[in-house]
Amino acid sequence: MKTVEKVVNPVKRAGEQSPGKIYNENLKVRARREWRGVKDTFYDYTRWLYLIFVLARFIVVPRNIKGFFRYRWMMSYLFVPHGMDKFTIGLRDEALRIAHTSFNFVIADVTQAIANCFRGDRRVGNDKAYSGKCVITDENSMVTFMMGFDTDKVHTILREVPTMFASNIFHQFNVMHYLDIAQQYGIPGDVCPMPEAEAGISIEDDFCVLGCCAVQNNTTCDGSLMGNGIIAKRLEREYGIPTYQLATPLRHKEPDVLEYAAQEIKNAIEFVEKHTGEKWNWDTYFTAARRVNDATRCRIAQMEINSTPYPQFFGAAFSLYNDTNYMGNSGRNADFVTIDHKLLALAQKGYENKRMYAKEYRHRAIVWGVQPQYVIDMLYWMVQCWGVMPLTDMLSVINTDMIAEVDTPENREQAYRDMAMLNMEMIMRNHTHGGFKVLVDDLWELCEQMNADIVMMWEHMSCKALTGMHGQFEEQARARGIHIMWVSHDLCDPRVFTRQAIRDQVNSYMRTVMREEPLDPSLEIIPDNEAY
Amino acid sequence: MRDLKHLLYFENLLQEANNALVAQAKADGKVCIAYTCENVPEPLLNLDGTCSIRLSAPHTGSLDIATYYMTNLLCEPSRALLERAIEGGFSFADCVITPDGCTMINRAVENMELLETMGKNNPRFFHSYMEIAFKNTPNDVDLSVLQCTNHILKPLQENYGIDVSDAAIRKAVADHNRICELIRAIGEFRKEQKPRITGYEFHVLCLATYVCPKYLLIDKLEETLEELKTREPEDKEPRVRVLLVGSEVDDSGLVKLIEEQGAFVCCDRFCFGSYPGRVPIVLNDEEDALTQVCRHYIQNCQCPRMMNQEKVYGRKAYVAELAREYNADGVIYEQVKFCDPWAYERTLGSAMLQHDYGFPVLSVDRPYNIASSSGQMRTRVQAFVESMEIKKIQRGGNA
Repeated sequence: MKTVEKVVNPVKRAGEQSPGKIYNENLKVRARREWRGVKDTFYDYTRWLYLIFVLARFIVVPRNIKGFFRYRWMMSYLFVPHGMDKFTIGLRDEALRIAHTSFNFVIADVTQAIANCFRGDRRVGNDKAYSGKCVITDENSMVTFMMGFDTDKVHTILREVPTMFASNIFHQFNVMHYLDIAQQYGIPGDVCPMPEAEAGISIEDDFCVLGCCAVQNNTTCDGSLMGNGIIAKRLEREYGIPTYQLATPLRHKEPDVLEYAAQEIKNAIEFVEKHTGEKWNWDTYFTAARRVNDATRCRIAQMEINSTPYPQFFGAAFSLYNDTNYMGNSGRNADFVTIDHKLLALAQKGYENKRMYAKEYRHRAIVWGVQPQYVIDMLYWMVQCWGVMPLTDMLSVINTDMIAEVDTPENREQAYRDMAMLNMEMIMRNHTHGGFKVLVDDLWELCEQMNADIVMMWEHMSCKALTGMHGQFEEQARARGIHIMWVSHDLCDPRVFTRQAIRDQVNSYMRTVMREEPLDPSLEIIPDNEAY
Repeated sequence: MRDLKHLLYFENLLQEANNALVAQAKADGKVCIAYTCENVPEPLLNLDGTCSIRLSAPHTGSLDIATYYMTNLLCEPSRALLERAIEGGFSFADCVITPDGCTMINRAVENMELLETMGKNNPRFFHSYMEIAFKNTPNDVDLSVLQCTNHILKPLQENYGIDVSDAAIRKAVADHNRICELIRAIGEFRKEQKPRITGYEFHVLCLATYVCPKYLLIDKLEETLEELKTREPEDKEPRVRVLLVGSEVDDSGLVKLIEEQGAFVCCDRFCFGSYPGRVPIVLNDEEDALTQVCRHYIQNCQCPRMMNQEKVYGRKAYVAELAREYNADGVIYEQVKFCDPWAYERTLGSAMLQHDYGFPVLSVDRPYNIASSSGQMRTRVQAFVESMEIKKIQRGGNA
């Protein structure tokens, strides 16, 4: 089997040595926050206060208070200050700053998304003029088709992000209610719980109602495509919000689907123009395209750093930041450029100083598949507890090609193909669809490029695209001498696999197959199954 | 009723994928094209020198090996097909055409390819995957034409020298229509108050047209149609009439089980059924045949993966229309377990048929091979039949 050289951290971590001790069996939150030495604790605390400030600034607006009491899912956001600590277990120095910089920005972005939803929501803010310029899109949708609309004139509302996706990260039990609603309605329990929960929210009429139109997409899977039908029924038939289905080909590596996809983008833009009354602006588009390219360059640089013995930006903060930037932003917001460069500078500094996240790195892992929402801190736990360094995750392995960024007549036509390409290769579906090569072969190439000896394989039990290749992964990993560590879960339903049940799969593999002892035994079993 | 003369013959053809007619077609020198989805235009697979065989795995038992490759979380049809392929049950295939219709079937075929389950001694064997339409727009027709050209016609021409000209496609459509007309004519007898064909018998005949070379079935189908014209129906009307809607049913045992409980399956709206799969294709002389065939499949497609709202609502309206046309008392929405597209379609369809169209609906999931677990289904159907009978009595009708 393949082995990698162990890297030992010559510097003793300041402050707390056993962060597992701060978990408390009797509480929904940890007993206390982590002690990281004077300098880092101070930094961590000020960032934590900043989060409180972001939340306070949000909740002082009267309509947001109204929305808070109207929507069940809003309860999750009470636990954001606790949730942030999930991303910083054991972190110090640049690593701590990277996690805060990226994730605080994501939280601020989500907070703004909720505020926007409430502003236009017919049941809360009911700002009709604002709502008339809002376009609703899916949670898992690339918003490339909005890149050429001025952001001060047309507002893109990814209303499923704060309602389902982000809220589940902060409160593991939040989604269960909506899953129950969907299943009471008749949807079986064996479909992916994410679109099922979104359908449940719609069935219970617990989405904000706003917008002059909506654009849905066949984003990630059959379940996601099908859930749209239930959501569109309420949008169109009850609330009179016209809904466009943006079809995105699945076999995205085949050149003969590109023109179809480009035409679909054109049609979606036309639909948005018709309903918002605003025109597509090529200056705005190419400015956004330059930002997309800039973000791509930064992401490639981050991946290069992660290929070295001293990876810096990884885990949930990395994937959620990429998710927000690549799909939810798609170059429309200039603030991401600043953050991208700040993060890259921090990572470069960390690399130059050979900063490490744990006492030692015993293994280098590629994380493949889809991570569960309610164990978002898993990869930080894995490196702290077992010294298995997650170099990158599947959701962060996205487009590396540059798109046309100069406004010329030829590039205007190329722009539709670029948007189509980005749309087809949106997060997750760029590997789970398009043939087995992008799922299986790409993984082995990545293992080679990043010198990984382990694949930590999230087996999301309702993700048929991934589990359909289970045997191939097994056999091909064996042939290549790469360890494959299966970790099953059900994405956002903790009743199927609890947090500890998920961690125990890693514990068992490390003890029985790898015959190793944990780096930090205090983390091996954490009493957080009942925690938010 | 007296047994149909050729029923046993047709039933025997359904006992295995590599049946007697497939062997005969191979002996005739035909290129046997295996395919997996109703979204593939069948006439393009039945050009001169070729014949289409839709893959099925009758009498599926153990799925152990396929479950190792695909886990027990994927639908049984996908695992059953893979298991059968590993066992060598599809060795007759000269190529496999797979549209990216649903993820699970697609993964099953990809596993077949990686495991080299077919075509070992045939250097011209190929696998071809294709994108299929999501909506019924002109853009989707263009996509379909391009995909059929690149992933069906070109490989057939290049690998097997098949004539893929417009004239060849028109002839294939005419042959296809002959089968459709026969099946539709036979199916018309189900509209009668005292039907002279059972839903099970019809399903056996219809199913054979998918899993056997069509050109070898025509004489027996014609004879059966003639026989039906003079067949004496049962004296008594069926207790209730149901329309069966849902995911693929290539196990006629399901229809038999439903009919054993007293329901007459008066119409079929599922994969391997006659709606929409046996609706004839009408061609004009102004436009090329390929485009017209593609448009026909897109417009008639009732697959839940068609995602625009016109199609989403249209599918329910189509079911309601069929139910009225065939005088159905109720609708059974069925879905093979773990099928994502039909999980949602069944849910929304059941709700809409009940609330928007006023039909009693039984909404069930089922195993691929109904014989493996028939008790639950039997109970559900019995209860449904009784509930509809009670409603009939309450309305003053005959039970």
